Amino acid sequence: MDNASLDSPATAELQSFLEQEKQRAMLNELVAKLTDVCWDKCITGSPGSKFSSSESTCLTNCAQRFLETSALILRRFQSMQQ
Amino acid sequence: MDPYSSSSQSGRSGPSPEVLMDQVKQQLAQAYAEEFFGTLREKCFAKCVTKPGTSLSGSESSCISRCVERYIEATA
Repeated sequence: MDNASLDSPATAELQSFLEQEKQRAMLNELVAKLTDVCWDKCITGSPGSKFSSSESTCLTNCAQRFLETSALILRRFQSMQQ
Repeated sequence: MDPYSSSSQSGRSGPSPEVLMDQVKQQLAQAYAEEFFGTLREKCFAKCVTKPGTSLSGSESSCISRCVERYIEATA
C-alpha cells in the first residue's frame, strides 16, 4: 500500500473527527437508552397532551437514578478487576 | 477543480477531508433519524394499540400523536 497517498495532516484531521463523532454517538446512545427505560417506567397509562407532574418528576428521578446505577456498577466492575 | 478531489501536497486526488466528513455526518444523521423513528413506532404502538383491530381508531390515532409529542419531549 502506498502510504504517500495518505496526506498526514488530512489523516490526523479525519482521525480526530472520527473520535469526536464516536463520542457523540456514545452520548446519543446513552440518552436514547435512558429515555427508553424511563419512558417504560414512568409513563404507565395512555400518553396525555402533557406530562402530569408525577410523570415529570418520575422521568427526572429516573434519569438521575439510572446514571447513578451506571456509575455504581462501573465502580463494582473496576473493584472486581483488582 | 470539482469539490470531490483535493490537491494535497502529494498531488493525489480523492475526496477532500471536508467532503468525507460531511458525508459521514450526513450518514450518521440519517442513521440516528431512522433509529429514532423505530423507537417512536415501537413505544407508541405498545402504549396506544393494545388490542389491534381492523383499522386504527380515532382514539388510537390521537394517542399515537400525543405519544410522539411526549416521547420527543422526554428525550430533550
